[in-house]
Amino acid sequence: MTNKELIRVQNYKKSFGDKTVHRGVSFSLYKGECLGLIGGSGSGKSVILRSLIGLEKPDEGEIIFQSQNIAALPENDLLEVRKKIAYVFQGGALFDSLSVYENLAYPLREHTKLAENEIAQKITSLLAEFGLQGNEHVMPAELSGGMQKRVGLARAIIMNPDVVLYDEPTAGLDPYNTIRIQEMILELKKKGVTSILVTHDMPTATAVCDRMALLVKGKIVFEGNLTEIKNDEDDPVFRFVNGKEVSK
Amino acid sequence: MQPFVASISHIFIEMFFFIGSFSRLLQKSFKESMTRPFYFGLFVEQMYSIGIKSAPLVAVCAMSTGMVITIQFGFGLEKYGGKPYAPNMMALSMVRELGPVFTSLMMAGRVGAGIASEIGSMKVTQQIDAIRALGTSPIKKIVIPRLLALLVSLPLLTVLANTLGILSGLAVAALELGLDPIYTFQKTLIMITVKDYTVGIAKTFFFAIFIGLTACHYGMSVSEGTRGVGIATTKSVVASSILIVISDFVLTKLFWIVEKW
Ligand SMILES: Nc1ncnc2c1ncn2[C@@H]1O[C@H](COP(=O)(O)OP(=O)(O)O)[C@@H](O)[C@H]1O
Ligand SMILES: [Mg+2]
Repeated sequence: MTNKELIRVQNYKKSFGDKTVHRGVSFSLYKGECLGLIGGSGSGKSVILRSLIGLEKPDEGEIIFQSQNIAALPENDLLEVRKKIAYVFQGGALFDSLSVYENLAYPLREHTKLAENEIAQKITSLLAEFGLQGNEHVMPAELSGGMQKRVGLARAIIMNPDVVLYDEPTAGLDPYNTIRIQEMILELKKKGVTSILVTHDMPTATAVCDRMALLVKGKIVFEGNLTEIKNDEDDPVFRFVNGKEVSK
Repeated sequence: MQPFVASISHIFIEMFFFIGSFSRLLQKSFKESMTRPFYFGLFVEQMYSIGIKSAPLVAVCAMSTGMVITIQFGFGLEKYGGKPYAPNMMALSMVRELGPVFTSLMMAGRVGAGIASEIGSMKVTQQIDAIRALGTSPIKKIVIPRLLALLVSLPLLTVLANTLGILSGLAVAALELGLDPIYTFQKTLIMITVKDYTVGIAKTFFFAIFIGLTACHYGMSVSEGTRGVGIATTKSVVASSILIVISDFVLTKLFWIVEKW
């Protein structure tokens, strides 16, 4: 892992109506690493991830990626950013009017000039890699939740993004699907993909993440290596993992 | 009294918000329809589901309208010995008013509700976000194809409605009012001017924008799950129907001034 900073979130603040979710979140994402972002339900993990590709705008603060402030970019310029940073939606967010094949072909048709047979080849091999061979012409509604998530992951990475943001990729999955997703994330990491993993699933986090960031009450209260997490009652990550209340 | 005033002011506030987002959406759609990429395939798909699939409903509605008003005019004018003019009156009202407005109201119900609930469901299941996350624009992918399909199909459906409505009205005039079919047919055709026809069709371009953008707007603003989809659908049909009937008066008046001028 080189120590090159790829994304810097600086003093991120966000409220919805009179409900303040983020009170100044700051953290960095380094090239090649997998950062685990953990925190309770409703602590705003998804809001942060969505902001990294401009689906959500902070009220204050900056998100620096390739010396651009993503938070200030207009929608049109964000389209370029979104080709480099992929977002894996929690439920897959597959287009339910399109088959699995058409879902996977969508980014290729939009952003490449590949011929139809090259697209088909790419999709077939990707589906095989994800253990989904033979499902090309199935509609998303006919797939199980785990398979939908895998297709969603496949669709997100088909354009070879530099950064992948996983939003609870293993939530609600059986052990088989959980392990498969873990393997896929590790596989991508080996290929040099930088990623952020939002999860509640500590086994998965420890299996794939290099570093952790813990979000509590609108701030990052811990950011560091897994080895830095102390086995003691005062460590915020230890308290979070063991189901104890974390107070700043 | 208090809750009444509160709900009235609530309606006004919502109305201003609606006008604001409606015009923003119109402006964005216009701007984005000028730049690449163009999704011709999506437009064709929408032409099929919005235009062609609405034809039966529009046809039935227009035919019964034509028949009913012929009978009504027939009975009304009979007292003054004007029964032979019933088909003329029918054809004129059909072309200038009833064809465009009834067709548009039917479309606000069938297509407007469909668009609002479809987009609403996509919003709830994060498919709209997915369109953005995959580096594409929901305006281009969703709004523009539907809006264009409405702009093309609503005038065409109105032509269909006018034709079928007048033909069935004439049939009733012959069968029920006992008027000479060939003579009435010729007289009616001669009487309708290009101007009458144009005025009726011109309105439908406005109605198409009202139906399409209202439905897209309410669909896109769904935030609170399945219940929100139902609410958005209802609001979309109500709002676009009101827009149609109110603007109909304004447009009729406006075209009238232009015609005289
Ligand atoms: N579009 C929105 N409108 C209003 N509130 C929102 C919106 N998006 C998120 N929130 C609120 O922000 C908080 C954080 O949401 P989220 O990021 O989804 O949490 P999580 O950490 O579970 O992913 C939640 O309390 C949620 O209600
Ligand atoms: Mg979440």
